[in-house]
Amino acid sequence: MSTWSVARWLQLIQHWQLRKRCLHSSAMVSPWRFLSFLGFAAAALAKSSTGNSVLVVLDPGSSRDNFSRFFDGLEARGYELTFRTPKDAHPAVIEHDHPEYSHVILFAPESKTYSSDITPQSLVTLLSKNTNLLIAVSPKATPLTSLAAEFSLILPPPGTPLVSHFPERDTPATVIPVDVSPSNPVLSGSLPPVWFSGVPFAFNSNPHIVPILNAPPQSFAADSDADSGADAVVEAADKGGEGLWAGSSLGLVAGFQTLGGGRATWVGGVDLFSDEYAQKPTLDGNKPGNEQFAADVAAWTFQETGVLRVDGSTHHHVNETTPRDRYTINDRVTYTLRVSKYNPTSAEWEPYSGIDGMQLEFTMLDPHIRTALQPTPGVPGEYSLTFRVPDRHGVFKFNVDYKRKGWSYLQSTTVVPVVPPRHDEYPRFLSPAWPYYAGAISTSAAFLAFCALWLAGDSAEPKKSKSTKSD
Amino acid sequence: MAPKTVSSPATTNSFQSLLRSYNETTLPRLKLIDAFLLFLMLSGIIQFVYCVLVTNFPFNAFLAGFGSCVGQFVLTASLRSQVNPANRAEFKEVSPERAFADFALGSIVLHFFVYNFLG
Repeated sequence: MSTWSVARWLQLIQHWQLRKRCLHSSAMVSPWRFLSFLGFAAAALAKSSTGNSVLVVLDPGSSRDNFSRFFDGLEARGYELTFRTPKDAHPAVIEHDHPEYSHVILFAPESKTYSSDITPQSLVTLLSKNTNLLIAVSPKATPLTSLAAEFSLILPPPGTPLVSHFPERDTPATVIPVDVSPSNPVLSGSLPPVWFSGVPFAFNSNPHIVPILNAPPQSFAADSDADSGADAVVEAADKGGEGLWAGSSLGLVAGFQTLGGGRATWVGGVDLFSDEYAQKPTLDGNKPGNEQFAADVAAWTFQETGVLRVDGSTHHHVNETTPRDRYTINDRVTYTLRVSKYNPTSAEWEPYSGIDGMQLEFTMLDPHIRTALQPTPGVPGEYSLTFRVPDRHGVFKFNVDYKRKGWSYLQSTTVVPVVPPRHDEYPRFLSPAWPYYAGAISTSAAFLAFCALWLAGDSAEPKKSKSTKSD
Repeated sequence: MAPKTVSSPATTNSFQSLLRSYNETTLPRLKLIDAFLLFLMLSGIIQFVYCVLVTNFPFNAFLAGFGSCVGQFVLTASLRSQVNPANRAEFKEVSPERAFADFALGSIVLHFFVYNFLG
């Protein structure tokens, strides 16, 4: 207890001194210094929307030089890489519950033990604090392979790498050229086949998974590529594929996006990023797509590409410009949403009108209205819709929930009460009601006329009434 | 029992005699009241038929218009019974003047409600 409090005091004092220094430096800031600071800021500008510090955890057996193309590419794009091995205690990925790095690359698929700061729990904490993870696994069972299950990735049993005997080639059966889907939102255009060796994973049904690279249709996971080991595969195939990791529905590289925006990418084999595979010619003798593929995957994982955000939303009565604090049933209301997309080349957020199929819901428990929210022509980044509020009063929500694979999730909720008209806001003098009005008015007029006749007759009457009485 | 066909001479005779006796024996005041009652009845019937056949949409307006006819009818009918000399024995302490004052006050209150409800 006492040691803790001493440490805490030291920390506080240190913090205080740091603040004092900051105050001093800001007090005596000179224009020249300010300019140089600006220049420094521009040079260090992250190309990622969340920051440029990257911690790379490498296996002791592998060296940075094995992945020099990948890492040099990251540094050229403005990232600051810090390297350590899984067992180093320093630098920690998370300290005092605060992530120390914007991104973490875990290229340590062979390590079974990690220092205490890297646990499945701490990685999930990092992810929930918007730190991005790039994780490589291997056929070996490690703590990370058990973490993969939490991301709805089902790994085959340990020691069963992906095997494919097609197409015929001089490499081992576990080193496979994989065709890249040209329409993947994560990747930039169509890429040549990439070399892969490692472990595949099956997907559980989880809407947050973004498959990036799928296994070739002829491939399967097996513990041996020799014919002697084929019996197990044949047996599994006879049982309708039960227990068999095979076919193109398997993933080799898969992204996962959390609701908070953090991204984690799982890679079945770390060699995908290696210099060796980046230079290994494909079967038709061309350069493989590995280098570009690795760069694209890193760009997506580190929130450079496919990053959207909601800048704001507003709503107003159709004839007004400012939001009302309540609307009346059947009012015509305009809802406007502004969306920006992160541009990694300029490191700026730019208005983005390219979203297709965004929907606005006007919800009270159930969506009473669900309709397309289209971009406003001529106003970049703005999506707006004018609609009639339902004939129903209560507390409603403008709700936009846009989730597409490979893109940041957009969510915006605005609560607005919808009230019935005030007593003097109902329509009056309706044309179908004129018979009723005429009836009431004529009754009154007839009443007045009756009174007049009655009173007029009263003075003229006495004799007559007497005479009738005497009858 | 009178025959049911209107065109038969017996019916015509009885109807004519009814009209004649009404014309002869009814006081002009009561005739005035009866005319007013007939008007109210027709007005109410027209509004009801319109409501059934065309629309009851501003229902409050229908209730107000129809209610004004019914209410006025009730008030006028009670005035008629109170000023009818034949009922003198029953309303000993209600003079015709008092009866008319009651009728006028009740009608004014009724019309106040009707116009508030008309919308």
